[in-house]
Amino acid sequence: MRTLKHLLLIAALTPIAAALPTGQAGAQDRFGTRTGSISFHSSTPVEDIEAHNRKVSCVYDAGTGAIELAVLIKAFEFRKALMQEHFNENYMESNTHPKATFKGTLTGMDAAAKRSAGTYAVTIKGDLTMHGVTRPLEEPATLVVRPDGSLKGTARFTVRPEDHDITIPGVVRNNIAERIVVSVDLDLTSL
Amino acid sequence: MTQAMKTRTLIIAAAVIAVLAGAYAWTEYDRGLADAGAMAVAERVTAAELLAAFRADETAATARFVGTTEQAMEVTGPVRAIEPQGAGPVNVLLDTGDDMAAVLCEFAPGTVPDQWAPGTSVTVAGICTGMLMDVVLVRCVPVE
Repeated sequence: MRTLKHLLLIAALTPIAAALPTGQAGAQDRFGTRTGSISFHSSTPVEDIEAHNRKVSCVYDAGTGAIELAVLIKAFEFRKALMQEHFNENYMESNTHPKATFKGTLTGMDAAAKRSAGTYAVTIKGDLTMHGVTRPLEEPATLVVRPDGSLKGTARFTVRPEDHDITIPGVVRNNIAERIVVSVDLDLTSL
Repeated sequence: MTQAMKTRTLIIAAAVIAVLAGAYAWTEYDRGLADAGAMAVAERVTAAELLAAFRADETAATARFVGTTEQAMEVTGPVRAIEPQGAGPVNVLLDTGDDMAAVLCEFAPGTVPDQWAPGTSVTVAGICTGMLMDVVLVRCVPVE
């Protein structure tokens, strides 16, 4: 059953996995999830805003370090419906830009560490595409190699809405932080 | 009616309108997310039909099933798997007849009926958010 599940996941991940370099890593080097978590938090004296999305798709090739993530913008959930409506309609324009993606590499681990249980400080570097605008991103992250071989990746960084051509109207400029804190949490299992 | 009475009436009316407007504004500001099970159903399809629509034309399927404003839909299909996501939501994967993708339905903890199991044919109401590896529905509820 476990083998069948993994075969199904490999097949399901094919569109993303196809973009990864091939011929350099065995199947045991590939990890993935379709239920990763990402959240963002904006804190100002006026109000705090946060949203969560627990349907992040990710494929990571430990052999090459290549990593890809994709999220559906409309899968972000807010506590207040009005915030969610404004987020989708006024800021992210999710009908025009329904997805955000990250394509890059994860570096900072040698080959031996990739197979040894432990917690490793790594660097994630690549291109973040959001609201139709692609910007380079390089941030520290943490990768935990569990004894059973599965991985847990976490990262916390900030994004400026203006860097992705997201316009904040002056009337609510004080309600939204200049830098939005983004947290990513991925439980990656072997493919 | 004297001028003083007219003025007092106008002030009271303005105050009442201001209070009502404030109450409406606060209610709207504080409004929570709608219950998918209580929303009008925009589409009813099988899991296989939903995946096929996204595979055939993702843009058209997004316009139809995701919509420009939030809408609820119902999807019917056999359960492929039920996977709790830590202490958070429970993911119910509906079989599409295609091993490469499922309809991934996110339920709040404790809301998946106990009798649901792999192979059970079920109907789910939820909010379609698009397709990544699977077609994704959030805030799902079972449809009896």
